[in-house]
Amino acid sequence: MKDQQSYFEKADFQSNLPKQFLVMFVAVLLVLLEVGLAQWPFFYGASPLLSLIFMYFIMIYHDELMPIMTVFIMGLIADFLMSDILGGRATALMLLSYAMRVGVLRLQQSDFMDLWVGFAVSCTAVMLFQLIVFTVVHFAVPSLSPLLFQLGFTLILFPIGFVMMFSIQRLLQTLQVMR
Amino acid sequence: MRPSDKAKVRHRRLVHVVLIALSFSLMFIGKADLVAMRDLRMSSNDFLAPVIDFVSAPIRGVETMAEGIRTVASLRAENVRLQAENDLLQRWRRRAEILESENQQLRSVTGTVSDENRSLITARAVTAPGGSFAHTILIAIGNESGIAAGDPVVTSNGLVGIVYEVGRAYARVLMISDINARIPVMLASSSWPGLTIGRNGEYLELAFLPAEARPEVGELVLTSGHGGILPAGLAVGRVDRVDGDDIRVRPAVEFRNLGYVSVLIGGTEGVDRSDLSQGSFFTPLPIDDDKRLLEGVNASGTRQ
Repeated sequence: MKDQQSYFEKADFQSNLPKQFLVMFVAVLLVLLEVGLAQWPFFYGASPLLSLIFMYFIMIYHDELMPIMTVFIMGLIADFLMSDILGGRATALMLLSYAMRVGVLRLQQSDFMDLWVGFAVSCTAVMLFQLIVFTVVHFAVPSLSPLLFQLGFTLILFPIGFVMMFSIQRLLQTLQVMR
Repeated sequence: MRPSDKAKVRHRRLVHVVLIALSFSLMFIGKADLVAMRDLRMSSNDFLAPVIDFVSAPIRGVETMAEGIRTVASLRAENVRLQAENDLLQRWRRRAEILESENQQLRSVTGTVSDENRSLITARAVTAPGGSFAHTILIAIGNESGIAAGDPVVTSNGLVGIVYEVGRAYARVLMISDINARIPVMLASSSWPGLTIGRNGEYLELAFLPAEARPEVGELVLTSGHGGILPAGLAVGRVDRVDGDDIRVRPAVEFRNLGYVSVLIGGTEGVDRSDLSQGSFFTPLPIDDDKRLLEGVNASGTRQ
């Protein structure tokens, strides 16, 4: 017999599922954009990690919209398209998302500089994880200069991405209030 | 906390653990290079490549526009440079015609069999390497056009890489700059054999040269044709730096501006291509001290 209490629970009228799908769509689009950006000679071999900036922002302010499945799919698509070690980036991103969930309250109360430093640490950790996995699997260390360029450029782009996403968030909130 | 919430939290934790375990195990399964994984990769490429093409259209547009502006700004200087280059090329063309005729005569005298049974098919490069961990590109051509794993990919400047995964409409090319790429080469002027090794960077490493070899900066490095997969004589690059055993080669092809590439089809009849997608493009020289190889050097690298 079914538990009687479950009949009296409130129906989930405000499901996050559509928003989660939208976030997943944007995240995948950013991964594809990363791959596309590499065609620009300037970003050859080291396109900035736009999807990581997006993930970092969403995980801080709307972590309920980015379930771990989204992170997994995002990482896996990047691994497939960049021909990286399958599951390398996916694992790194999932571990990062797990770590961020633990410290999300502290991050929400941090000022921008702390967030930037936090992002630098996160970005470095993701790349370092991939580098270690790559080194273990291939018994070789790849050229580090493109990796540093990628890291540096992603860190430079972080404030721009952050401001853009903050503006979009504000706009959406305003639209919601007006409605 | 309601019982259903507790169940949700338990369920979420389980999903976390399962996904992390799955992702972690994928790293090893992917490395095992199973046929299923290869098929999965190519299917995903076939599915996602048109989307990437669509997404990167504005990027290509901006790049074309920037290139156009640059070209217009330097039109006059470019015209002068091109005229000078044209004069030089005309002279080289005459010289090439003389050398070609001489080469044909020598081939007929020595009875050398020419390896010219390859046909050329051109394809657009859909992606460029976006990360530091793999140097591969997707090209818009698949097994419908008759290409197969192991086919060399070239531009007019030289060797780009080798096809290593083929899907229905797209194929993935392992570039010579990838860390897994080992290309049997020889120095153009001295004919010493060696291997170029990619470093996932701008330059290649030239290794396994015999101790007697004295490569010079600017010397052309060509494919040697060992292993039978790559035809001999394709330009790989030029020696850029010689620092003891550390010899650096700058690739002949400017990988940053790869728009179109050509795939050389055929010409490897009789070569076992079953193992090609596992990256074993190079057939090692046999360890046989008595056997004489290129320039009288045996497999151990000592001169005979």
